[in-house]
Amino acid sequence: MGMEKNVSKDFKLKPMKCELNFLSKSDGSTILSQGDTVAVVSVNGPLDIKSTSQSIEKSTLEVLYCTKGGKPSVADRYKENVIRQTCETAILGSLYPRTGITVTIQELEDYGGLLSCCLNCTCLALLNSGVSMRCVYAAVTCAVDESGDIVLEPPKHQLQTARAVMTFVYDSREKSLVTSFTEGMFSEDTYKEALARCHAASDLIFSFYRDIVSKYANVI
Amino acid sequence: MAEIYKLIHPLKYFTDYISREVRPDGRKFDEQRNIKLNVNSLKTAEASAVVKCGNTTVVCGIQLELATPKAEEPDLGYLVTNLELPALCSPKYRPGPPSDHAQVTNYLVSDIITNSKCINLKDLCIVPDKLAWVLYCDIVCLDNDGSLVDACIIALMASLKTLCLPSVTYDNDTEDIKVNADIRTPLKVHGLPVATSFAVYKLPDRNILLTDPSAYEEEMCGGIGANFIVCSNEGLLCGTQKFGGSNLLSDSQEESLKISRDRTNVVKKVIETSIKNDNEFVS
Amino acid sequence: MPLDYRRFNGPDDSVSYKRFTDNYLKSYDELYEELIDKNSRRKDGRKLDEARSMCMFFARTDLISQAKGSAYIELKKTKVVCSVFDPREIPHQNEFSQLGQLYCEVKFAPFSCVRQRRPHAPDAEERALSVALRQALEPAVCRHLFPNYQVDVFVYILEHDGACLAAAINAAGLALANASVPMYDIITACSLAIIGEKVFVDPTEAEEHLAIMSPDTEGTNHGIITMSMMSELKQVSDFMQIGSMDVQCVTKVMEILEKECETIVPNIQKVLVLNVVQCFNQRKQLEAEAKEREAALNAKMEEWKKILNAG
Repeated sequence: MGMEKNVSKDFKLKPMKCELNFLSKSDGSTILSQGDTVAVVSVNGPLDIKSTSQSIEKSTLEVLYCTKGGKPSVADRYKENVIRQTCETAILGSLYPRTGITVTIQELEDYGGLLSCCLNCTCLALLNSGVSMRCVYAAVTCAVDESGDIVLEPPKHQLQTARAVMTFVYDSREKSLVTSFTEGMFSEDTYKEALARCHAASDLIFSFYRDIVSKYANVI
Repeated sequence: MAEIYKLIHPLKYFTDYISREVRPDGRKFDEQRNIKLNVNSLKTAEASAVVKCGNTTVVCGIQLELATPKAEEPDLGYLVTNLELPALCSPKYRPGPPSDHAQVTNYLVSDIITNSKCINLKDLCIVPDKLAWVLYCDIVCLDNDGSLVDACIIALMASLKTLCLPSVTYDNDTEDIKVNADIRTPLKVHGLPVATSFAVYKLPDRNILLTDPSAYEEEMCGGIGANFIVCSNEGLLCGTQKFGGSNLLSDSQEESLKISRDRTNVVKKVIETSIKNDNEFVS
Repeated sequence: MPLDYRRFNGPDDSVSYKRFTDNYLKSYDELYEELIDKNSRRKDGRKLDEARSMCMFFARTDLISQAKGSAYIELKKTKVVCSVFDPREIPHQNEFSQLGQLYCEVKFAPFSCVRQRRPHAPDAEERALSVALRQALEPAVCRHLFPNYQVDVFVYILEHDGACLAAAINAAGLALANASVPMYDIITACSLAIIGEKVFVDPTEAEEHLAIMSPDTEGTNHGIITMSMMSELKQVSDFMQIGSMDVQCVTKVMEILEKECETIVPNIQKVLVLNVVQCFNQRKQLEAEAKEREAALNAKMEEWKKILNAG
């Protein structure tokens, strides 16, 4: 049931390939590859959780991030936090009070832009699981190379020499910034330019989402 | 009366303030809390600083150790920053190993320091492949009242700027190490990264940007810790992090960049003054 | 030691640079010589029986805004912060407990000690201090007033220059009072180090270090004693002794300790009274301001009424 769509019009984004319902036991699951970077996400929920972590106002989101090596580290907690906070703004959690939604992410291949791939994959898995959402979101990574130019979705060798790497997440309704995180140093003008470029590129990802969902709607 | 109102209608209480263009502690939206800084107050650490931003209190102490450099990076020293959030700083934390939130804040602080490249790790190497300094920078929060990352960066930079490394002689043949603690050279610090935290609050018609939020404001804006952190270093940005809270529009981004630029000057002056005062006090 | 995944770790083989300085290795006798000068004064100019509490004692409350009660105590270089939180239900407990519980935790800052870097995870010394602190505080708190609840007392030692258990008990007593936890009496503590014939009241870290180190000659008295007291009730709440000494020595120093504990009481009282006075003044000021506002409002109401009546 693999679906393929190459999105490279004006901007050069890496080719994205995606398969929904990749895992049979979870409520929603997706495998997504952006170029050579691949991640699998499974979503379970809303389900019962222990009373200490329940919230009476909204569902509790739990994100588990597993690296290839399997050893936990502080950096993984940071990634989990980024993904959790992003999902929290997208999910209509107040519809499921006193429950938990568990998102499990497994890294498969990292050739640059892993975190944005994980974020996009999580969004598709949430769509697949049928959890009510306020909006969908799209993550785009860009790098500032040595000459100060902005490269969208850079390959791995470019990431290592890059001056800065930035990732931005936009929502689908207001097209405003949900999450951002950066590495390295850059000027304000570069930052604004990168924001604008990624903003435009996020439309491509949204149209990719639309294609995937409409195709799967036909199959199901 | 107000306390009861705050408990029964927490959201309305907060919105009532915000819609009248004032924050619950009487500040304006873009007003920051006072910064108090004291350097070298702890004698057991090589360099130390105590920072108070409003109620938020942070202590930073640096200890020096010697080790062999990593085999893959023989000419680099080590800079190990750790942020400790003990249970005494806020009722939200429980004793035991660091919570997820503590780890995320810890990562943010050390990420800003590495990204700003304010310490050249090559300066910390004494003999390539044989001996290098290890800087253990431990930051402890005594009182967490919001904008923790800002205070941590100020404390860390102030103590790094006062740090002096003792002179070391290394004998290549006998591998004998001799340290003379009386002769010291100050550590080179390039630039001064300054972090500025914001909380984003959603009113029905617009989004409000609250500068230097308190713990209560951070909680009301939905999220543990600040929503948006801008870190600038001598005119360049060295990290913008945004998580959770309401979405950010481009005009509020412009505003936040301007505020963080202004804050850089304030913090720079604070650090310079307190180091100068300390030097005068010693001499 | 297993690697800590929740923090950033340095290299495994790092050692403090002080190990390579000239005066790292000194014999017991050399160190002993350094402690006292010819006029039998200590390094910081104190007499043997002079505590730091007389001149270098600094205490304040309300340091930590997020806590119910807090205290900061400084004995020259020893710096201790303590915070006390609201009572909460005892976690993981099925049975009803008649008496409330105290949960105490003492933690050293990683940079607090001269000799070594403190590990982040609690070590044996911290655990022992936590237990001692709980034992010292329990008799002083009216625990029957909050059954099935526990009060958290957290102590953080920023800088360790001797007598840290005594400082922790003093700080915790002050913080508990500041948090308005009902207590029978003000609790104070003092410690002293014994090296041979000499008794060091309120020892520094160097003196403590030497007191624990056993000299070669057997049978000499050496050790540290910390005692906490409720002076008004003339009751000892905790007595902790490390090292070995004969019975006469212990009974002799207990008298000194009792006297020292009493001298701290006025210091603590002063801080507490000052606190109450400050609170009272603040409240008076707030009330005055509220009255002013009300008067202004009434005046405006009258004005409007007049305008209304005028049509």
